[in-house]
Amino acid sequence: MEAQGILERIKRIIGDADLVWVDDQPGDSYLVIPKEKLRRLAIYLKGDPHLAFDTLMCLSGVHNMGEHDEMEVVYHLYSLRHRHQFILKVTLDRPAFFPHFYLRVDSVSGIWPAAAWMEREAYDMFGIHFVGHNDFRRLLLPTDWEGHPLQKDYRESDAYRGIGTTREEIKGVLAEEIG
Amino acid sequence: MPLTTETMVLNMGPHHPSTHGVLRFILRTDGEVIHMCRPDIGYLHRGLEKIAEQLPYAHFMPYTDRLDYLAAMNCNLGYAITVEQAADVEVPPRAEYIRVLVAELNRIISHLISVGTFAMDIGAVTPFTHTIREREWVNDLFEELCGARLTYNYIRFGGVAFDLPEGFLERLSQFLDYFEPRLEQYNRFISKNKIFKERLVGVAVISREQALDYALVGPNLRASGVDWDLRRDEPYSVYGDLEFDVPIGISEFGVVGDCYARYWVRIWEMEQSVGILRQCIAKMPEGPYLTKTKRKLQVEPGEIYVRTEAPRGELGFYLISRGGIRPHRLKIRTGSFSAMSIVEELGSGLMVADLVALIASLDVVAPEVDR
Repeated sequence: MEAQGILERIKRIIGDADLVWVDDQPGDSYLVIPKEKLRRLAIYLKGDPHLAFDTLMCLSGVHNMGEHDEMEVVYHLYSLRHRHQFILKVTLDRPAFFPHFYLRVDSVSGIWPAAAWMEREAYDMFGIHFVGHNDFRRLLLPTDWEGHPLQKDYRESDAYRGIGTTREEIKGVLAEEIG
Repeated sequence: MPLTTETMVLNMGPHHPSTHGVLRFILRTDGEVIHMCRPDIGYLHRGLEKIAEQLPYAHFMPYTDRLDYLAAMNCNLGYAITVEQAADVEVPPRAEYIRVLVAELNRIISHLISVGTFAMDIGAVTPFTHTIREREWVNDLFEELCGARLTYNYIRFGGVAFDLPEGFLERLSQFLDYFEPRLEQYNRFISKNKIFKERLVGVAVISREQALDYALVGPNLRASGVDWDLRRDEPYSVYGDLEFDVPIGISEFGVVGDCYARYWVRIWEMEQSVGILRQCIAKMPEGPYLTKTKRKLQVEPGEIYVRTEAPRGELGFYLISRGGIRPHRLKIRTGSFSAMSIVEELGSGLMVADLVALIASLDVVAPEVDR
């Protein structure tokens, strides 16, 4: 099915309020949906025999710090049965105060188990919380790491467990050892 | 008095010989049986996605070599195609054929390592020395081509870095003539070995549904009976003009989706790659090997997700550009990552020795998991 046909079916199930279809830029087109509708739509996308999106190819977090500070979660879906793909996006506000209250979205790991690790990675790198994930913790970084490195305003701390991370500090240690 | 047993928590790794790089499994075992298996990854996390955001497009190419060091050409190729599609760069036909040629050659040596270490993990050490011997020959060819033996940095936006040297195709033909009968030799030597089979047949079966749920890709997906190969089904570069079969797991030797099926798919893929290479040699066109591009390539605002078939399955690059010479975001989706995520589910209920077979059969490369 073509992207337009998929879009029509989606509109039929969750209504076309607040849906934004973006196809005015080069490359892939995508659909931005409100985060409240994600879970319902995801179940439908996988279950509907005409859509049958059986694989979640890729789940990525994105941080935009333009005039508006916001994060995106991007779902690249593919149907091996019908050989078509679709891209979904959810946008999350990131206010200056208590951002972790706002960076929350429903987990789809119950629908596509592949999402379990991808969501953990997105949390690790962006600090996005996925509600309803049954083993939610960091994936790549140590559990006591501070901050989420792929945020655009991330600053690495000067030391981790007493080990310096700056170039000057490493140079200093080397100078001390080698003399 | 009845004999009571206790479960024991066991650390496997980070420096376990069967983990192919640095990764750790936390096992809760009862005797030899695993009750819970929890992979702990991240030891080789280098923040490639963050690095990509700080560098001009072309400067990130050498980093893609380090993504999967056993298949650096394929990683180069995936990244190059992504940026070319985003920036509308033309690739001359000769360069396309050279790219497919090096990608398939790299697929062969990557599968050689996979098959060799597979046997070694099971306990047969000698086959590894045989596969390494063949791989050295290919490494010599690659060294002739681009000067490097492991991290090639050979593919450029708009072509390849160097033309094929004098007599390269003849030497490649010599290698293929030598290599093709070797595959049959491996089969007599190890593939059909009774002990080897006993260890693998019916072990850690991944059903078709499970494979799709966990988004397995490449040989692991095909071993579960899913007939899907990007090279055939969504052809990129010149794969559309080449003829080859896509091997999938069959139940002739064991169960569809068991460790043994995953082993055989790789052996058959090497056969197919030899066929593709022979076609590339026959069809290699003359002409330029590189289109000149700007030193600092600019990409129009927009986003694109491109996937290519690397030896460990689909390698996806999700590129978002806001204009300018650097990407706004580059997400790398690798085959080993999804293969690793299924271990937690499959691991419980296996014997410890079978877990080693499972990891080896999934052909996980740790730097590709962690990126």
